[in-house]
Amino acid sequence: MEAHALLRREGFDVSSYGTGAHVKLPGPSLREPNVYEFGTPYKQMFDDLRRKDPELYKRNGLLPMLKRNSSVKLAPQRWQENAADGSFDVVFSFEERVFDMVVEDLHNREHALMKTVLVINLDVKDNHEEAAVGARLALDLCKELEAAESWDDTIDEIVPAFERQHRRKLLYSISFY
Amino acid sequence: MVGVMASCPRDKALSLFNSAKFSIEIPSKLEPLRQLQEIVVYRDPTLLVEFVPHLMELQSEHFSPIRKFLAEMIGEIGLKHRQFLPEMVPVLISFLKDDTPAVAKQAITTGTNLFRSTLEDVALQALPDSLRESSWTCMLNFKEAVYPVAFQSGSEGVRSLAVRFVEATILLFTPDPNASSRPVPPEGKSEGFSISWIQGGLPLLAAADLALEASKNLGMLLDLLRSPSVRGLPYSVIFVLINSLSTIARKRPAFFGRILPVLLVLDPSTVVIKGALVSNVRHALKNAFLACLKCTHPGAAPWRDRLVNALKSLNAGDSSERALGQFDNVPGNLNHQTGDPHAPKDGTLSMHVSDATPIDAGRKRSVAEDAGDLAHGDDISGKRVRHVALVSQESPMQVIQPSPEKSQESSPLNMAQSSTGDGESGPVQQLVAMLGALVAQGESAVNSLEVLITSISSDLLAEVVIYNMRFLPSTRPSPESGEEETLTSCNISFLISNASAEIKQLSGTEHTMSLLSALPQIASLLDMKPLPSSSSADLTEERKPPIPMDLSIPASNTSTTDVAVLPRDAPASSIVPISDEEVNQLAVLETIEVGALQTGIPGLDDVPSVEELKEALDSSLSSSVDLVSGSSAKQESSSDHMSYDKSEALSPRASSGDMSWASSTASAPIVLPSSYLLQKVPPLVVALTDEQKDHIQKLAYVRIIEAYKQIAIAGGLNVRFSLLAYFGGECPLEFDSLGLLQRHILADYLNHEGHELTLHVLYRLYGEAEREQDFVSSSSASSTYEIFLLTVAETLRDSLPAADKSLSRLFGEVPYLPKQALKMLESLCSPGNGKDGKDLQAGDRVTQGLSAVWSLILSRPPIRDLCLNIALQSTVHHMEEVRMKAIRLVANKLYPLSFISQKIENFATEMLRSVVNGNAGGESTNIDRSNLSGGQIDSTEGVPKGGQLLKEAGLATADISSNINDSSSAKTLSSSSISEAQRCMSLFFALCTKKRSLLREIFLNYGSAPDAVKQAVHRHIPILIRTIGSSPELLSILSDPPTGSESLLMQVLHTLTDGTIPSPDLIYTVKRLYDSKLKDVGILIPIVSSLPKDELLSLFPQLVDLPLEKFKAALVRILKGSPNMGPVLTPAEVLIAIHEIDPERDGIPLKKVTDACSACFEQRVVFTQQVLAKVLNQLVEQIPLPLLFMRTVIQTIGSFPALVDFIMDILSRLVSKQIWKYPKLWVGFLKCAFQTKSYNVLLQLPAAQLENALTRTPALRQPLVAHANQPNIRSSLPRSTLVVLGLAQDTQSSSQAQPSLSSADAGTSNTQALTDTTKEAKTVG
Repeated sequence: MEAHALLRREGFDVSSYGTGAHVKLPGPSLREPNVYEFGTPYKQMFDDLRRKDPELYKRNGLLPMLKRNSSVKLAPQRWQENAADGSFDVVFSFEERVFDMVVEDLHNREHALMKTVLVINLDVKDNHEEAAVGARLALDLCKELEAAESWDDTIDEIVPAFERQHRRKLLYSISFY
Repeated sequence: MVGVMASCPRDKALSLFNSAKFSIEIPSKLEPLRQLQEIVVYRDPTLLVEFVPHLMELQSEHFSPIRKFLAEMIGEIGLKHRQFLPEMVPVLISFLKDDTPAVAKQAITTGTNLFRSTLEDVALQALPDSLRESSWTCMLNFKEAVYPVAFQSGSEGVRSLAVRFVEATILLFTPDPNASSRPVPPEGKSEGFSISWIQGGLPLLAAADLALEASKNLGMLLDLLRSPSVRGLPYSVIFVLINSLSTIARKRPAFFGRILPVLLVLDPSTVVIKGALVSNVRHALKNAFLACLKCTHPGAAPWRDRLVNALKSLNAGDSSERALGQFDNVPGNLNHQTGDPHAPKDGTLSMHVSDATPIDAGRKRSVAEDAGDLAHGDDISGKRVRHVALVSQESPMQVIQPSPEKSQESSPLNMAQSSTGDGESGPVQQLVAMLGALVAQGESAVNSLEVLITSISSDLLAEVVIYNMRFLPSTRPSPESGEEETLTSCNISFLISNASAEIKQLSGTEHTMSLLSALPQIASLLDMKPLPSSSSADLTEERKPPIPMDLSIPASNTSTTDVAVLPRDAPASSIVPISDEEVNQLAVLETIEVGALQTGIPGLDDVPSVEELKEALDSSLSSSVDLVSGSSAKQESSSDHMSYDKSEALSPRASSGDMSWASSTASAPIVLPSSYLLQKVPPLVVALTDEQKDHIQKLAYVRIIEAYKQIAIAGGLNVRFSLLAYFGGECPLEFDSLGLLQRHILADYLNHEGHELTLHVLYRLYGEAEREQDFVSSSSASSTYEIFLLTVAETLRDSLPAADKSLSRLFGEVPYLPKQALKMLESLCSPGNGKDGKDLQAGDRVTQGLSAVWSLILSRPPIRDLCLNIALQSTVHHMEEVRMKAIRLVANKLYPLSFISQKIENFATEMLRSVVNGNAGGESTNIDRSNLSGGQIDSTEGVPKGGQLLKEAGLATADISSNINDSSSAKTLSSSSISEAQRCMSLFFALCTKKRSLLREIFLNYGSAPDAVKQAVHRHIPILIRTIGSSPELLSILSDPPTGSESLLMQVLHTLTDGTIPSPDLIYTVKRLYDSKLKDVGILIPIVSSLPKDELLSLFPQLVDLPLEKFKAALVRILKGSPNMGPVLTPAEVLIAIHEIDPERDGIPLKKVTDACSACFEQRVVFTQQVLAKVLNQLVEQIPLPLLFMRTVIQTIGSFPALVDFIMDILSRLVSKQIWKYPKLWVGFLKCAFQTKSYNVLLQLPAAQLENALTRTPALRQPLVAHANQPNIRSSLPRSTLVVLGLAQDTQSSSQAQPSLSSADAGTSNTQALTDTTKEAKTVG
C-alpha cells in the first residue's frame, strides 16, 4: 500500500492486491491475528480495531496505516480475482512467496491478449520503515522502466543496473495476459 | 431523413479518414482513426469495402503509434470480416519487420488472435468455401513469417511474443487431452477448441501434418534452450521459453517426455554469463517445474520423481513438498502415479523391486530417498504402489510387467484404472494414436513417420514400444495365412512399435499377457536362437519357425527381421535367390537396426554364436557400401559393449528380464538415425560406374550432413564433428565435399554448431598442411585452409548481425590466420581503405572488426603487432565514426596493456609530430612502422608454423606499411585542413586522458605547428582538459609552459576554470607563473574570481591596463565571482577600484582608465543607478577626489537622468569641499552643473568662484541670473553673490558685512585648502 500510495502520487496508474486467502493484520498476539475478508473496507477495519484496542493499534501503527490506506482506496482487493481490472504492464511483489503466486496465477490464466507483463519481486521486510524504502525503490524502478522505450528489450540491462545501484536483489519474470 | 442518415456515416468516415491522414500530430491522427474504426467496423460494415484499402495505406505512416493502431484495427476488422484478410495480412507481415518493437508486437498479437479464430472457423467449417481457403492461406503465410522471428535473434520483446505465437500454434495443432471430442456449441469459445475435432479430415487441414509441424516447432523451441544456443539468448527470451514450454507440457502432457529432459538439464549457471541473473532463471525453472508437478495428467506421473529432485536441487524443497502433498491428497490420483493400469501389489513384485535396485548404486540411493520422503503416514498399500511407481520411473520398462494374477484381481483401484485405461489419452496413447494415423496412410506417410520417430525422445519411444507389447497376440497367427503380410506388419510394428490395425483388432484381454509368462518362452527361444545364424545355408526353410516366437517377444526377433525387411525393398520373388553372403550382409544392416538385442541375447546362451555373428559382421562390413562404414563401426562397438552388459545383466534370476528391456531402450536412440540412413541402401550388389560411385558418394555425404541436423538433438556432437570433418577431408577432391560441408555450416551457423564444425575442419586441414612433406600437397592443403576460413569468415561478416561474436571467436580459435584473413579484418576496420572499397559498412561492422582485432591481440601474441597495426590504422581513418570507435578501443582497451602501450604511444606521437611538421609525416610514420614490424618479426619466432607463416606475416606487414604510405602521402597533400589535423591527432588526445604526461608533447609541439593544427588543437583541448581536470601533470606544464604555447595555455586555463572553482593548486601555480615567468596579467583572468580581494585590488591597475576586450572578460569574471563564494568584488567596489587608479603613479594611460570606466557604464544591468549612487557617495568622500570623479558624475547623469537630484546633492557637497581647488575637476563640475541646471548649487559658490564659473561658461550667466532673480531665492542669497550676478550694487552695508563673513570664509577655506594640499602631497609621496 505504501508503494501504491507513492506511485499514485507520482502519477502512475496503479492498483494493489493481496494474494492470500484473507486479509490478515497483526493482533494482540501472534496467534490471534485480525482476519478480514477481501473487500472489507479499510474504514470498517479501522473502526473495528479502534473499538478493540485503540492504544495497541495506534502504537503498532496499524490505525495510521489503515487510515492512510482508506485514503488510497476503499478496500483491499485480491490478486486472484482481479481479472476484471484489465491487464497491467508491470507487477511488483515485495516477497518472494507472493512473486511465485503471481507468476503461477498469471501462468494459469488464459493468455488471450498476448500482452507481456513484467513481474518483479523486491524483497521488503514487512514493517513501516522498510515499506517506505521499498516503495521508493519501486518508484525508481518504475520510472526507469517508463523511461525505456520498450522494456522488453532492455530489461536485461535495467535490472542488473538497478541491482548494482541499490544493492538489492531483484527477481523478475515475464508473463503474459 | 433516412437518406441523410444513410449517407451520413460514409461522409463522416471519409472526413475522419482525411483528417487522420493529413494531420501532423499523433493525437489528432489517432482520435479520428478511433472514431473511424467505430463507424466502419461496428456501425456500418458495408463501408469496409471502400475503406480497407485506404486504411492499409496507413502502413507507411511515419508515426509508430499510428502503425500500431492499424495493426490493432486489422485485428478488429479481421475477426469480424474475414474477406479482408488477404488484403490486410500482408500488412501485418510487413509490420513484423517494423523498426518500432511496439508495432511488431501488436502485429504478432493481432496475428495470433486472427490465426486462432481463423483456424477454428476453418476447422468448424464456419466459413464459405471460397473464403475459407483464401483466409487460411494468408494466415499460413503469416505463420511462416513469424517463425523466423521466434527462432532468430532480434528485439527481445518481439521475439518473446513470437515464441508465444509458436506456443499457440503448437497448442492449436495438437489435440487437447482435456477437451471434449466434439465441437461444443459456439459459446465454448477459443480456448475450448481442439484439433481433435477435425480428425475426420478437411482438405485444408490435415491433422497429421499439423501435428507434425507442432512437433517440429516444439523441437525448435527446445533447441533454443539446448546448451550451445541458449548461451546467446537474452534472459527475457529464456524466461518466456521456459514459461511457454511448461505451458505446453501442462496442456499437452504428451510432450512431457520431450520438454522435461531439456528443462531438467538446463543449468542456469552455465546459461548465464552475467551471473547476476542466475537466480531469476533458477526461479523461472522452479516455477515451471512446480507447474508441471501439479499436472495431474497420468502422462506426467513418470516425471514426478525427477521433478522433485530437480526442485530439491533448486532449493525449492518446501514448495515441492507442498505441491506433492496436494497431489497425494487427491485420492483418485494414487493410481495415476503409477502410470500403469496393473498396479502391482503383491509380495513378489515388491521383491522384484528390491532385486532390481542393486543394479545401480546411484539409482538405489535416489529410490530409497524418495521412498523415504514420500512414504510417510500412508497406508501400506499406497506405500507399495508408490514404491513401484518410483522404480518404474527409473526404468520405465518395468511398468509393463503385468502380473496375470494382478490383472485378474479386481481391486477398486484397478477397476478405476483399467476403465479409464482404454479410452484415455495419455501421452503414450496419444503418440500411439498419432503413429497409428500415420501408418494408416501407408507409403505416403513414411517420411513424416521417420521425422516423427526421430524427434521422439528415447524414453518415450521405449514406452510406446512397451505399450504396444500388450497388443501382441498371445498365439501366433498361422504362418500359412499370408506370410508376407504378417512379416511386413511385424516389421513395421517393430520399427515404429505400433500398427493401428493391431490396436483395433486386439481386444483388451491381451492385457493379461505378461512378461512373467513370457519368460519361459524366452528361454525356449534362446535355445532355438542359434539356429538361423549358424545354419544359414538353408535359410529359406529355417527362417519360418522363429517367427511365432518373434511375435510374442519382439526382443528376440533376430534374424527374422532381417528377412522381413526384404519384402519392402525388393519384390518377394527376389528372396529366393539370396545367397548366404547376401543374407549376412543384410543381417549386418539389420543388426544396425536391431542393435544390441541381436547380438546380446544369443550371447546369453551361446557365446560362440556371438563370435560367429561378429565375424559375419566383419566380413560383410568390408563388402558393404562405404558410406555406412563410419556408423556401422560405431554400431559394432556399441553392440559389443551392449552384449557384454547384457550377458552380465542377464543373470539366472527371473527378474533380470527387466534389464534386457532396459537395455533395449538404451539402444533405441542408436536405432533411429541408422534406420533413417539405411532406407536407400540397395539390397543387391550392383556394379556402378565411377561416376555413379562418385555421385552416390556425394549423395551419401550430403545425406550425412543432413542427418547431422537431426543428430544435433541427440547430443554427442563433438565426437561426430571430427568424424564429419574427417569425411570432408578424406573424400576425393573431385567433388567438393568441403564446399558441401561449408554450405551446411553457413546455412545456419549458430544452430548447426558451425563454429565447432569449422574448427574441426580447419584443424584437420592445418594438420594436413603441416604433415605433408610434399610441397604441392602441403600448399594445396594450406590454400584450401585459407579459402575455407575466408569463405566462412566472409559469410559470417555478411550474414550475421554485427553484434555477433562468432567472427572474432572464429579468428581467435583457428590454428593460424592467413594474411588474407588479416586483410579482411583490416578492410573491416578501415572501410574504404582496403582493396575492396565497396563495403562502406555501417559503424557496427567496424565495431565487429575492431573487437575481433582486440580479441586477437589478447589471444594471439604472434600476430599481435599486425593486429595492432590494423587497429592503429583505423584510428587515423578519414571517417570520423570509424576513427572514434577505433580510438575508443585503442585508448580504453589496448593502451592499458603494458606490452603494447609503448607502441601505441609511439604511433600516436609520430602521427602528432607528422601533422605538426607537415610533410615530414610520411617518412616518420614509416620509420615507426618498420620499427614495429621489426619487433613483430622477433616475436613471430616462436610460431609453430615456422617459416611459412613468418613469410606471410612479413608480407602482410609490408602490405600494411605500403598502405600507410599511400594514405600518409595523401594526407600531406591536404594537411592544411583542420579535419586532417584532427584525424591524426585524435588518438594522441585520447591517449592523453590515459597517460597525462603525454600532454606536454602537445604543448611542446604547439608552438611550431601550422595554424590549421593549432586550430585543431584548440578544438580538441577543451574536451581533453575537462576530462582530466587540473591534474598534477597539467599543473607542472602550467608552471613551466614551453615557449610559444601561451595562447594554448590561456585556453587551457579558461577551460579549467570554466564553470568550476579552480583548485588552490591551480591558483597557486598560475600565480607563480605570473610572478616568475610570464608577466602577462592576462593569464590571471581565468582565476581572477578566485583571488583574494586585496590581491585582486592590488592587481587591478594591471588588469585595467590590459586590452579593453580582456579587461571586459576579467570584469565579467570578477563580477560573476566563484559559484559558492559569490562575487569577489561588488560592482561598486570595481568602480571605486578603477577610480583609485592613479595614471601617473601606476603608469597606466588615462585613456585606459576612462575606457575601463566606460566599459562599466556599458553594463547597465550590473552598474545600476543604485550602484552608481553608492559609488559616487563613497568617492565624494575621498580626499583627494579621484581624478575621474567628475567625468563619472557626468557619465552617470548621462546614463541615468533620474539621478539628477542625487547629483545635485553631490555637487553641493562638492561645493562644500571646495571643488574649485581641483582645477581638472572644477571644469567638470561646472560642466556638470550647467548640464544639470543646478543653479542652486552654483549659487552656493563663493562669489569669487561664482565669478570664475561665469567667466568660464558665459552661457551660464543668463539662466543663473534668471534663477536668482526669483524673489524667494534672491532673498536668501548673500549680497556678494548678487553682486557677482549683477543683481545688486556693491553697497556699503553689504560691503560692511561682507569682509567679516568673507574673511572668515576665506580663512577657513584657506586652512582647509592647506590641509588638503598637504594631504595630497602625502598621498602622492
